[in-house]
Amino acid sequence: MEKFLLKNIENPNSADIAEYIKTGGYKALSKALELKPSDIIDEVKRSGLRGRGGAGFPTGMKWAFAAADSKKPKFILCNADEGEPGTFKDRPILEKNPHLLIEGMIISGYALQAEYGYIYLRGEYPEAKDILEDAIKQAHDKGYLGDDVLGKGIRFYLHVHQGAGAYICGEETALIESLEGRRGQPRIKPPFPVNEGFLSKPTVVNNVETLANIPYIMEIGAEAYSKLGSPDCPGPKLYSVSGHVKMPGVYELPMGTTLREIIYTHCGGIRDGKKLKAVIPGGISTPILPPEKIDCPMDFVSMPKHGSMLGSGAVIVFDETVDLVKVCLRAMKFFEHESCGKCTPCREGVGWLRAIIERIYNGSGTEKDIDLLLEVSKNITGKTFCPLGDGAAGVVQGFIKDFRHEFEQHISKQVKAAA
Amino acid sequence: MLNERVVIEINRIKSKYHDAQSSLLPALYVVQREYGWLSPDAVAAVGDVLNVPRTTVKGVATFYSMFRHKPMGRHLIQLCTNVACMIMGAERLVDILKTRYGLEPNSTTDDGRFSLVVMECIGACATAPAMLVDTDFYDNLTEERIADILENYK
Amino acid sequence: MITVTINGKKIQLEKPVTILKAASMAGIKIPTLCHHEALESYGGCRLCLVEIEKMPRLQTSCTQYVADGMVVWTETERVVEARKAMLEFLLINHPLDCPYCDKAGECELQDLVVKYGPSTGRFAEGKRTHPESYDDPIIVRNMDRCILCARCVRMCDKVQCASDISITNRSSKSFVEPFSGGRYNCEYCGNCLTVCPVGAIMSRMHKHAYRPWLIEKEVDTVCSFCGVGCSVVLQVRGNSIVRAVPKTGKGLNKGLLCNRGRFGYDYVSSPVRLDSPLIRRDGKLQRATWSEAFIYIAGELKRIKETYGGSSIAGIASGRCTNEDNYVFQKFMRVVLGSNNIDSAAGFAYAPAQKFFERIFGQGVTANSIHGISNSDGILVIGGDPTSVNPVLGLQIRSAHQKNIPVVTIGYMPGLKRFATNRLIPSPFAETALLAALVSELKSKRRLSDEKAAFARDINTIIENIPPVSLNEAGDVCRISPSDINNTVDAISNMTNPSIIIGRDILQRSEGHTNLLLLAALIYLLNGRIYLLSELPNEQGLVDMGCLPDMLPGVRPLAVDSFRRRYDEFFGVEVASEPGMSIVEMIDGANSNKIKALYVMCEDIVFNIPNSRYVKEALSKSELLVVQDIFMTETAQLADVVLPSLSWAEKEGSYTNLERRMQMLKKAVDGKGMEDWQAIAEISRMLGFDMNYRSPKDVMAEIARVSPLHKDIAYDDIVGDGFMWPYKGEPLRHGMSIEGIDIPDAKSLLKISDNDKIYAGMENPLFYSENLSRNSSALSSISPEPYARIGKALATKLSIIDGDYVNISADAGSIELSARVDSDLPENIVLIPNNFGDKGIFNVMNWKINPVIKSFVLDCTEVVIKKIKSAAEEVLA
Ligand SMILES: Cc1cc2nc3c(=O)[nH]c(=O)nc-3n(C[C@H](O)[C@H](O)[C@H](O)COP(=O)(O)O)c2cc1C
Ligand code: SF4
Ligand code: SF4
Ligand code: SF4
Ligand code: SF4
Ligand code: FES
Repeated sequence: MEKFLLKNIENPNSADIAEYIKTGGYKALSKALELKPSDIIDEVKRSGLRGRGGAGFPTGMKWAFAAADSKKPKFILCNADEGEPGTFKDRPILEKNPHLLIEGMIISGYALQAEYGYIYLRGEYPEAKDILEDAIKQAHDKGYLGDDVLGKGIRFYLHVHQGAGAYICGEETALIESLEGRRGQPRIKPPFPVNEGFLSKPTVVNNVETLANIPYIMEIGAEAYSKLGSPDCPGPKLYSVSGHVKMPGVYELPMGTTLREIIYTHCGGIRDGKKLKAVIPGGISTPILPPEKIDCPMDFVSMPKHGSMLGSGAVIVFDETVDLVKVCLRAMKFFEHESCGKCTPCREGVGWLRAIIERIYNGSGTEKDIDLLLEVSKNITGKTFCPLGDGAAGVVQGFIKDFRHEFEQHISKQVKAAA
Repeated sequence: MLNERVVIEINRIKSKYHDAQSSLLPALYVVQREYGWLSPDAVAAVGDVLNVPRTTVKGVATFYSMFRHKPMGRHLIQLCTNVACMIMGAERLVDILKTRYGLEPNSTTDDGRFSLVVMECIGACATAPAMLVDTDFYDNLTEERIADILENYK
Repeated sequence: MITVTINGKKIQLEKPVTILKAASMAGIKIPTLCHHEALESYGGCRLCLVEIEKMPRLQTSCTQYVADGMVVWTETERVVEARKAMLEFLLINHPLDCPYCDKAGECELQDLVVKYGPSTGRFAEGKRTHPESYDDPIIVRNMDRCILCARCVRMCDKVQCASDISITNRSSKSFVEPFSGGRYNCEYCGNCLTVCPVGAIMSRMHKHAYRPWLIEKEVDTVCSFCGVGCSVVLQVRGNSIVRAVPKTGKGLNKGLLCNRGRFGYDYVSSPVRLDSPLIRRDGKLQRATWSEAFIYIAGELKRIKETYGGSSIAGIASGRCTNEDNYVFQKFMRVVLGSNNIDSAAGFAYAPAQKFFERIFGQGVTANSIHGISNSDGILVIGGDPTSVNPVLGLQIRSAHQKNIPVVTIGYMPGLKRFATNRLIPSPFAETALLAALVSELKSKRRLSDEKAAFARDINTIIENIPPVSLNEAGDVCRISPSDINNTVDAISNMTNPSIIIGRDILQRSEGHTNLLLLAALIYLLNGRIYLLSELPNEQGLVDMGCLPDMLPGVRPLAVDSFRRRYDEFFGVEVASEPGMSIVEMIDGANSNKIKALYVMCEDIVFNIPNSRYVKEALSKSELLVVQDIFMTETAQLADVVLPSLSWAEKEGSYTNLERRMQMLKKAVDGKGMEDWQAIAEISRMLGFDMNYRSPKDVMAEIARVSPLHKDIAYDDIVGDGFMWPYKGEPLRHGMSIEGIDIPDAKSLLKISDNDKIYAGMENPLFYSENLSRNSSALSSISPEPYARIGKALATKLSIIDGDYVNISADAGSIELSARVDSDLPENIVLIPNNFGDKGIFNVMNWKINPVIKSFVLDCTEVVIKKIKSAAEEVLA
């Protein structure tokens, strides 16, 4: 498949506006500005584009909600928090193809009649900050941003806002709180951001990759776009693959490519001739899968049918040497560290899960601890304020479902040692 | 408390936003870059400049794990230890920093040269393990490579 | 109409509310921890989960709104399991120290654990621990017990708007703390304590002395500190008050209190309360019996009245006393002693301001609901910081700000700093020019009403005759940029029915009367609602009961024959038609030997009036000084006879707040003194005039007959949230003549204060309330040291930093104080509070009278400041 999102990234000057324009950049913007804002929204709706941030929400619909709200001003926020461990798919866009994102944001700003856009960039990407700010300046100088975009009498201003190390700020309402200079704790929904978001004004939050798809839709048209990828989830998808494959990296593939294809066709299979033991398909918040399940297509609709989720499309591959209890423990430490602390089950329960896994890993667990893990995670599931806590519980359940024996081995090793 | 340059910079940032508190995170970054950490006095002073209650600023500053609340060494090593880096050997690197520099996570070397903070995922999983030294990014780390890199930071 | 079914019960609702609310309307209780009715929903604790048919997930009822046709179950097996799980999670980090915890018995967590069954204790790892913190004088923290419901933080942030505590860190390391991590250093309203569901933050005042089940009675009464009149419940054990708490939803304060109302009650049990009458013998006050004291007083009053006439006697009533006390007091003065020399601290500013506005706009113009403030479309504050004078009223302004209502403040008001949309701080005492400029500008922006009513004609005339003052002229005098003034003009000219909140500072000026006139013009031009800040709990009652030199009960002018005649007929005496002396005239009168006897009921005039030395000298010239009080005040120390009174918690009666709401005091404990009205009635009887009252109720019955304003009021009418203006009475609806009101000339509008001089000014801190706070160990522990507040520029000039010691001297005297440097204060003023006996402002303030207002002014004292010791030296020493 021809690359669009990662077009040109091998070019060392890909972040430069001249290079971008040379390869057709900002044409989509010109095209879009010929349309009525509502026509752009319709086009995006018809394209079938779903948000790439993890939840897969139809982007056109989200835009339409915000456009329908009469409050002013409106805001478009780009979610560049990319905090889900294993995920680094937005990074090449941010660092190598920033103008694609900027172009997408200008189009979305015009479609929503929003004059202000902010890119909420995770603090862990300091280089991306400089690159984006340079790119914004270039775009400004060329008249793509500012008081009079392309002489069309439209205003659009774009700023980069750096996060400071909080995974939860990837959640859209926590992101907004954070942008407002508060503790990044999620808000009660409703009201949804499309009605009361940043500064209580209508706000669209979209993932980097989502926004980067917008120029593509403008370029090839909704019709053509909707035929790419899976029928329910069209378009190209960035998969970030890490762990024990021969060629880890970010791959732009049609949405719905199977895990098997990703691992074996594109990434060259497991390295060092080892055997595949497990795959986390969509970032560590998504349940881990055993090798038998890698034939499922990686899209928002198919993955849940196979007991996991597409999430951010971050594939972490484990070979036979990996101790999955240790992986599970590390994941739980992550969730414990990243819990925002607002709600009881996540704040207190996830730490408890970590404590139980830790004692199993350290060899002082008992048979009953596995059931306790299941019970505690069941007590968390469905009761948390936001999906973070639920995710943590789901991860534990996922590990035990297919890899219970690894936990049992840790426990029985200890029992043997004692005997 | 804050030097004039910092105050000017904060006020410049303020103008990018519709309300003052939205500039709080960037303002804290400015201060941290200047002084290396956010002392209680600095936190209070940021509050005063932005007209945000100082306790609110403290609540915000302590929420985010990249703000430092004690003085740091001259160079800050932020080493990822999350799953992808872990399975690629990040733990060994932590051990090396300990044996070679006496550097434990969340501490500073006696000579004030390095501080170490272990990180959640820094988005370098394909080239794990990875770290940031100050704002410089390094990946594909090995025992030798990390030693060579750190030699450049005095 | 929305119909929902909760636990099988059908509920009809007009508009969507949360499931929690709907359930509670139907009498179904859903357990909660993070929800509190004074706060917005949070959804953090997850205790209130319920099952909703057709929804796969349990939902939190505090955040989920009902929809038509919704079917909800609140206690299904699934729900109960979930609640148990949440409680188990909470107990992971909660100590099991209920037997030691003061909260046990009223702890919401304990109650829920009892209801849903104890946790099975499956958590094997160690708990998070934090040592108990005693860093603060008033608040004790046991953060082990904190369940992170964030109620306290939300209360402090969103309701008190002090934002003095926050959750810091995140995850299970989240921690509630003030900025310092130790001492609070906040407004100490204690509203965070009210909402904490567990024993994590509590008052230190009743530490281990308080157990909910030991409370023997709860007394619903009204706070004794200021003119807001908050409802407060006194919890009593034996003969002592163990705690003062607000009742959520009750009273105009709706569950809030300020630090004085919550923590200040301990003055009642102060060890230095007066407990026996005292008579001066051999130059010393010595214990005496009640009858000895009464005989002495009656004898002396008789002698003085016969020798010099009734007008040689003066009486000072009290805004801390009840309406009944004050009514009896004025009757005693007028009817028994034949004197109109009756005044009180209300005469300093509150009464003159009200009198002036009522003269122009009609009686009752200041009787406005405090809740109206946060519902108006703009707020203008001048003459005092409401958040320290009337704290709970001040919260209305902060809450208005949160609703984006424009707030304009004029003057130094630290408590509103973050809440003002336009904030003007004129140079000292230069408000007159600013007000004049605002009037001039508005005059051109607003068409004067062509209303035919007489008062409209009058005020139109006044407004037209006020000399114009330009923005530049005002800017020069006030040292404010004209564009800032202009922005303020824009802000206020968009208001259609603003609340105009006026503090006493604006009157206590040489041009105080001019300020009043300008304010009246502004109020008229803006169609404003007036609120007068009031420092005393019954300041309005003083006015309404006729404790003014020129007003009879019901605020009927003495000068009007028909009113006087009615009064005369009632009592069978003839009251003189000339007004009596105001409080400052009495002091001048004593000094010039015109006043021979002074009867002071619960007012510390030496302490509360400028130039303490002068006041003392004047008082010591009188032949008789009688003082009733609960403490040995500076004034009582000079008295010939001292009678111990009862404190507010030891008696009954009514107070009238600044909204003119009448509310009841209820007796909570026994005291050793006598009710003020009763002591006066005893003396009256000895003087041959029997006052046949058995209780305050009898007094109120008489008030209802004498005062047209209180017509037909029955003591028992005053229940619950009080009895609102205009009662059933007859207010004087029309403005009175404006004859005699002088229109200021341009010169008096533009008086420039000398930039090289430094003036003394008075600060009214939140934690101070005259003798009551001085005798409350809780309140005095918050800010125990006398201080002077100095502007940053001046401090820099004199190289003074925070904590340095300075000498402040003036003609009247000099004092040494520690400095507090403040960047918002203009350069040429130093503010000193009046809470520290010989270190208070009135030791340096000059004695100067505004002859129109007939009270002292505070813009008359030039001072010299010298640094004497640096803070560092002090530490070493
Ligand atoms: C705990 C949590 C973390 C999230 N992190 C991210 C993130 O890092 N980046 C992102 O784009 N979306 C993230 N999301 C999803 C956002 O809430 C939101 O759905 C998304 O930004 C919407 O954009 P989209 O419609 O373009 O996908 C996260 C959600 C949760 C619950
Ligand atoms: S589940 Fe609760 S505690 Fe966890 S991140 Fe979400 S809101 Fe915060
Ligand atoms: S006492 Fe009042 S001001 Fe102080 S922390 Fe509590 S709520 Fe805030
Ligand atoms: S201190 Fe009390 S009110 Fe505050 S968060 Fe903790 S438990 Fe809740
Ligand atoms: S505002 Fe006034 S009445 Fe209310 S608690 Fe405070 S001092 Fe008492
Ligand atoms: S009361 Fe509803 S979540 Fe706490």
